[in-house]
Amino acid sequence: MSATAINQDMLLAVVEAMPGDKLAEARRAAAFRFAELGFPTVGQEDWKYTNLSVAAELGNEWLDAYVANGGQESDSRTGNLIAAVQNRIDAYWIILRDGFVDSNLPDVDGIRVSRIAEQGHRPLEGADAMSVFNTALLRDGLYVRAEPGAVPDKPIGILIIDNPENAMSQTRVMIDSGENSHLRIVECCLSSEAGRQFTNSIFEADLADGATLDHVRIQNRDEAHVSVNKLSAKLRRDSNFNHNSFDLGGALTRNDVNAEITGEGASVNLNGLYLAAGDQHIDNHTSIVHGVGPSTSEEEYRGILSGRSRCVFNGKVIVSPGADGTDSRQSNHNLLLSDRAEIDTKPELEIYADDVKCAHGATVGQLDETALFYLRTRGLGLDHARRIITRAFAAGTLSTLAVAECHDYLADVLDQRLANLIDAKQ
Amino acid sequence: MLEVKNLKASIGGKEILTGLNLSVKAGEVHAIMGPNGSGKSTLAQVIAGHADYEVTSGAVEFLGKDLLDLDPEERAREGIFLGFQYPVEIPGVNNAYLLKAAVNAKRKHHGMDEIDAFEFLKLAREKMTMLGMDPVFLNRGVNEGFSGGEKKRNEILQMAMLEPSLAILDETDSGLDIDALKAVANGVNSLRDPERAIVLVTHYQRLLDYIEPDYVHVLSGGQIIRSGDKSLALELEDRGYEWVVEAASA
Ligand SMILES: Nc1ncnc2c1ncn2[C@@H]1O[C@H](COP(=O)(O)OP(=O)(O)OP(=O)(O)O)[C@@H](O)[C@H]1O
Ligand SMILES: [Mg+2]
Repeated sequence: MSATAINQDMLLAVVEAMPGDKLAEARRAAAFRFAELGFPTVGQEDWKYTNLSVAAELGNEWLDAYVANGGQESDSRTGNLIAAVQNRIDAYWIILRDGFVDSNLPDVDGIRVSRIAEQGHRPLEGADAMSVFNTALLRDGLYVRAEPGAVPDKPIGILIIDNPENAMSQTRVMIDSGENSHLRIVECCLSSEAGRQFTNSIFEADLADGATLDHVRIQNRDEAHVSVNKLSAKLRRDSNFNHNSFDLGGALTRNDVNAEITGEGASVNLNGLYLAAGDQHIDNHTSIVHGVGPSTSEEEYRGILSGRSRCVFNGKVIVSPGADGTDSRQSNHNLLLSDRAEIDTKPELEIYADDVKCAHGATVGQLDETALFYLRTRGLGLDHARRIITRAFAAGTLSTLAVAECHDYLADVLDQRLANLIDAKQ
Repeated sequence: MLEVKNLKASIGGKEILTGLNLSVKAGEVHAIMGPNGSGKSTLAQVIAGHADYEVTSGAVEFLGKDLLDLDPEERAREGIFLGFQYPVEIPGVNNAYLLKAAVNAKRKHHGMDEIDAFEFLKLAREKMTMLGMDPVFLNRGVNEGFSGGEKKRNEILQMAMLEPSLAILDETDSGLDIDALKAVANGVNSLRDPERAIVLVTHYQRLLDYIEPDYVHVLSGGQIIRSGDKSLALELEDRGYEWVVEAASA
């Protein structure tokens, strides 16, 4: 197979040329490690539907440009983009531009917000190729720590703006949720302009006993954007992780969501919505490990596909030996608006304990013709009828929104996106 | 108002309506009765514009317009309302939203402004009181989890809000308790008007005690094989359909 790979020599050269900051050593070690790994290929079971050749191409472009002009230029023509989000969602906002912090850090009671590489934080994790690649090129990032018992009055908003003038960016957000703290985070991922770009992002959260972390990610990037996003959450006793993802934009999006329950009484809630049109490709791989029981996980992903789009849902649930009292529910529902769109959906349950409740289900269907006819007999035009049935399907995921502050903004962007999807059904 | 001439319609290659004639004038109430599977719902669905039915010959005129040329939504906006035998559940679509969208679609078609939000609520509450419906039904999903009788009342609520020129009610009386039957009959009677017409598809004389029809028709084998006044319904209740079918084929 002639898949494009990252130019390893160039990578090492770039890493050597980077400034000698606190991350320099971690970068070098990761670069050598990455030389052994390379990007995942479609030959690997977990990657068989998602080809990262384009990402590697863009990565090499970026490495070339780095050697030529020393990298990073900032773009400040995004005032409107920023205001459009910040005016709609009431939060303590931080801007990450191509992975670099580009705003003041908010001062919130009980919360410490700092830049990775500037202050003490736990070590960079992740042994998989994409995490190692991220570390190899990591220059900046965000570290948020909630002190024990901290319950901020507003969510922390992270506006992740990527600029296609840079072919690639590495984004990293690390969260430490102290005991019994309740942190809420909204991430909005946008492109500053149209164009091809590859973002490799990592979001790592560690939840101490009794902590709750609510996390909403709204991805509405340019239609040529490529991203690989890894989210991992480690849950201790009685902690709760509630996650919603909304994938609306991008040419190719791959999300890996890994939640690991390591303490009794913990619960994980994963909700996703993906809307794909044209040639969009959206791949959600989730994995929930019930290391101990009793513990619960609930997962619902919904997709609406039109055009020649291609989506993947793979939901792994692992119940470790002895994790009795595990209660796990998973579902994936898909609405196909075009007969050329394609979805691959697969639950993967690995259960090594006895006293366990695990349920899963997946559906793939079209718009209900009977319902469409019924609405039309009430005077609603065909497109209107299609839109409200489709919207009702999508809105199911809004009812479980982990951060209420982003409801109205989301409802609006969803409506816009759905209108496009229905107009361009084929 | 409605002229159905020699209508033939089939579904899945099977001819269900085999040359049906029906003439309904403004101000009239017609009842259509007939054995199971004779084509009553088919007639109602064809008039409403269901695309699965193929009209192979004949004509349907509504207020002088060729109905078969129009999309279902255009027929609705022109003033046709079909109360479904089996109302459709549409989870997640708010009942009030649908009512309002339906009212506005019709108003827009007739060059009127959208209904004012306050006026809409007032009107909806008024109609619901008349039908003995709790206002909470406004905030539920369309027919979502409604009981059989609640669905039928909801159909009548939609009808009452839309004030159609021609209402075709397909077995709206089946599955209703006695109070609901009276409430529904109330709703229908409140719509009676010299400018409007109502077609009731029913199996039971009981409904016709509350809504007195001007004409009663027997539909069998895809045609109307006998028409009479309200006494025909009483006779059918008494003697069944067999004698009518026999007389027609004789
Ligand atoms: N999709 C279909 N394919 C084949 N036959 C169909 C289809 N839909 C309806 N039919 C048949 O058409 C005939 C007429 O059905 P219709 O629903 O109009 O009867 P009806 O008079 O309303 O009966 P009921 O009193 O039971 O409501 C029935 O024999 C039915 O089985
Ligand atoms: Mg019927």
